[in-house]
Amino acid sequence: MPAISTDRRHLLSLESLSADEILLLLEVASSFTEAAAGRVTPSTKLDGKIIANLFFEDSTRTRSSFTVAATRLSAQTLDLVGSTSSVSKGESLIDTARTIEAMGVDLLVVRTREAGAPAQIAREVECSVINAGDGSHEHPTQGLLDLLTIQQRFGNDLTGKTIAIVGDVLNSRVARSAIHGLTKLGVNVHLVGPTNLVPKTFEQIATGPGSVEVSYDLDAVLPSLDAIMMLRVQFERQRGNAITSDYRSQYALTVDRARKLPPDAIVMHPGPMNRGLEIDSEVADDPDRSVIFQQVSNGVAVRMAVLTRCLGGS
Amino acid sequence: MLQSPRMSDIFIQGGRVIDPESGFDQTADVLISNGVVAQIGRISKPANAKHIDAEGCIVCPGLIDIHVHIREPDPNHDETVKSGTAAAIQGGFTTICCMPNTNPPLDTPSMVKFVQTQAQQANAARVFVVGCATQGRLGQQLAEIKAMADAGAIAFSDDGDCVADSAIMRKVLQTVKEVDGCFMQHCQDPALTVDAVMNAGVMATKLALIGWPSIAEEGIIERDIRLNSAIGCRYHAQHLSSGGSVDIIRKARASNQCVTAEVSPHHLLLTQDLCDDYNTMAKMNPPLRSKTDINLLKQGVADGTITILGTDHAPHPLHRKQTTFANAAFGIVGLECALPLYLKALIEDNVIDWPAMLGMMTINPARLVGLNRLGLGSLSVGGPGDVTVIDPQLKWTIISQEFASKGQNCPFDGWEITGKAIATIVSGRGQLLPESEHIRA
Repeated sequence: MPAISTDRRHLLSLESLSADEILLLLEVASSFTEAAAGRVTPSTKLDGKIIANLFFEDSTRTRSSFTVAATRLSAQTLDLVGSTSSVSKGESLIDTARTIEAMGVDLLVVRTREAGAPAQIAREVECSVINAGDGSHEHPTQGLLDLLTIQQRFGNDLTGKTIAIVGDVLNSRVARSAIHGLTKLGVNVHLVGPTNLVPKTFEQIATGPGSVEVSYDLDAVLPSLDAIMMLRVQFERQRGNAITSDYRSQYALTVDRARKLPPDAIVMHPGPMNRGLEIDSEVADDPDRSVIFQQVSNGVAVRMAVLTRCLGGS
Repeated sequence: MLQSPRMSDIFIQGGRVIDPESGFDQTADVLISNGVVAQIGRISKPANAKHIDAEGCIVCPGLIDIHVHIREPDPNHDETVKSGTAAAIQGGFTTICCMPNTNPPLDTPSMVKFVQTQAQQANAARVFVVGCATQGRLGQQLAEIKAMADAGAIAFSDDGDCVADSAIMRKVLQTVKEVDGCFMQHCQDPALTVDAVMNAGVMATKLALIGWPSIAEEGIIERDIRLNSAIGCRYHAQHLSSGGSVDIIRKARASNQCVTAEVSPHHLLLTQDLCDDYNTMAKMNPPLRSKTDINLLKQGVADGTITILGTDHAPHPLHRKQTTFANAAFGIVGLECALPLYLKALIEDNVIDWPAMLGMMTINPARLVGLNRLGLGSLSVGGPGDVTVIDPQLKWTIISQEFASKGQNCPFDGWEITGKAIATIVSGRGQLLPESEHIRA
């Protein structure tokens, strides 16, 4: 069993996890895939635990996925979302979190519009905190499910594999978690998109053995890839006119572009997709290449593993 | 500490007396009597004088900080003239200039007079008012610059915000020139820094925080120098953060452009790395930058490009820092620990010596805002009895909870440092006098 170094109560980022910790989580997640799909009797590992979904920003899939994962582990969940929460009354994020904790909740699943908020909440509360997406910073459970999905195609050792993450990297928490997770496991990462959405500084944010390279030419990198992750164009996070009208012609994964991928390369997307903008429907639905819905299924297994880890119910 | 209502003479014996203006630097005694410096030299101990044993200490003109936020008026009372001047005294400052980004802002003569009245009542450090350059600091209409100058405002600034519009900026420089005043620019191009919270770079990319690029500072300084070249107003660039700005100012000064610059302790000692883990205590405006910037700023100090040290003392209650990075307040309190921090950054690192550093805290800022005409910023017989006594060896630990300032937002909290003002004397009144072995009745 590999050594666990960080505070296991929380999962705040993939940046803060070691490669061994990530691999262990993936191994546990893998063992949960049957239970996640409801094909075996539900586990009672977290019986009696109360998990609060504290979502200061809208979410459908992540919140539902955490709820399903908690249910499969026999935990109770409580939803506090956006406009119904005290945040709209001017209470600070931290005060809201402390209030919910004071009711005896065991774990907070936190999504915020602002980078860093879950980590700041974790410093102020005793209970567990899972970051379910903080602004454009990280979305660690998404990063883990992406890794699990790639492992399922290529085996557990991903060293030397190559992936491209394409599109609005700057505003993407999915991309940042993926970059940390992938490079820690030795995957080489190409980041592709327009300059103002993929600044060169990304080449230095990760410390893992895998490399990070910024490129502005999608066609040039396609033939070298084992996987391509298309990011959603996040209109709600754009500042200025970052998306230009030639975005699709330059950076979309069209049917023509998909033909340039090696035969066994997989296509990923964190969803929700803008079909016909960053990805063509034919590619998204290609049964040989697309693992987009497998990613969603893996999300439940990964979140079961993370909940178990944080609440010590192993 | 001892505050005396009745003024008695103060005899400061055997210190290293440094007056940067005259170049005087030797062991001497100083006698302050009736509010003025009565004698400097070898003096036999007078009767009935407070006696400060200054052996091993530095005796210099009272320190001046031209960049202080004392937050009055403001309904939140994050700082007041009383607490802000108390903090100044603790840090060795006898004179501070307060910035006009209060609530409401200091943009009329009556607001200037209000602060002056509060300062008289506080009766601690001298306070001079920097008035707004534009009405409400909105950057659209000129404020009553001439009337504020008549009321005693010694400089003009929209600090906290840049005067960004070039046409308004030109009018401001022309008007401030007419009153022979000083304009202080907060150099930040707003278009390049929308919602920006830290230095643009790898750390900002990693933390997914919006970056504040150096060019937003440098571009404004370039523009202002060009605008001012035909006007010749005393133009002062506040709190430099970028190494690139130093080069621009160096070239402008070499061609006799009327421009000065200041640097703050945090920009000489801290980098953007301190923002990691969303540490809001490291959130400043302008932001903490890189080690390279620090080195270039120090070069600017060493070669005389940067001539003034200013703290940008910006107190906030802790709850305004205990929030998300994007929402947290910008700023750091500076008055009470500035002196040892400058000492650490500039003297211990062999950038400049004591006389040069004290010049940047006394006569240089005094000349910029015209306080030298009142005799402030220098030490001469007959001049104001504003004197600071510094123990350059005294080791202490910064504990922000013990600050006289109401602000505790200080990333230097817990630092072990050397050097402290042990006596701060304003107009012959001992505002801060040593309790320790330095004082004898």
